[in-house]
Amino acid sequence: MSNAPARPAPDEEWDDLLRQLRAQPPAQPRPYFYQRVHARLAAGAPAAAVALPGWLRRPAYAVLLGGVVLALSGDGATFRPAARGGQAASSPRLLPR
Amino acid sequence: MAHPVPLLEAPGPPATAPASAPVADAELVAQLQRGSEAAFRTLVARHQGRVYRTALALLRSPEEAEDVAQEVFVEVYQTIGRFRGEAALSTWLYQLATSGALKNRRRARAKKRLAYVTSLLGFNNAVLHHPPDHAHPLALLEGQQQLQLLLARVARLPDAQQVAFTLRHEQELSYAEIAAVLGTSVPAVESLLFRARQTLRQQL
Repeated sequence: MSNAPARPAPDEEWDDLLRQLRAQPPAQPRPYFYQRVHARLAAGAPAAAVALPGWLRRPAYAVLLGGVVLALSGDGATFRPAARGGQAASSPRLLPR
Repeated sequence: MAHPVPLLEAPGPPATAPASAPVADAELVAQLQRGSEAAFRTLVARHQGRVYRTALALLRSPEEAEDVAQEVFVEVYQTIGRFRGEAALSTWLYQLATSGALKNRRRARAKKRLAYVTSLLGFNNAVLHHPPDHAHPLALLEGQQQLQLLLARVARLPDAQQVAFTLRHEQELSYAEIAAVLGTSVPAVESLLFRARQTLRQQL
């Protein structure tokens, strides 16, 4: 016969664990928290203005970037069918039956 | 856009508590929207504990939790003009704290993965020191250690389950409050908690 103490039921163990979780001492931020928030706000005001990378704030680079995006997007192809539009209208193709 | 509350003067010592009844959150928000720094100070003092504890519960790092908590109040200050009071102030703060903590954690994980890949490719000669893993089941048998094991397992839950479990069992929020924070329904919260508990009990 074993002398080992009866092991608590799993539900009891689980409830006990959750009780321990709730009973943890409430943590607090270090003292002078408000002062640090205040300092961060004061430091963050000029930082918000420079959120964009420096090169993007130069108009010439921004225009160049826009041009590159347009060139790579394939929108140039839309002009070609327009140029051939008159030719297509003069000789309509029959639709296959 | 930053709310034009004047915060140019250095903060003085914390204001003493008024003798009258404490100002309700809604009134604090209204005062802050009118530009009262005293209201902001009171708001921070009143809610810093719960914001910090929520971040700490999700990050398990006092430094990172402090950083997230500061960020939450900076965001409150900057966007209070858009707060319409449809939800409780505390709900909004919990939302900011949980989303901030999860974002912080994702960033840290991405950085860690990048450092790992960099080390594999040999771009730097730094040796990656992995923090010791104290979460081995054999090492965590009793009392406080069992709690640490639980916390380690909670950290591995999917984000929504982890937030729901933390808000319920550490912050002791009601199901309705958790639903408001997560922007979901009470049955959805019940489902999240059920799955979280099931996973945790299987692993412990």
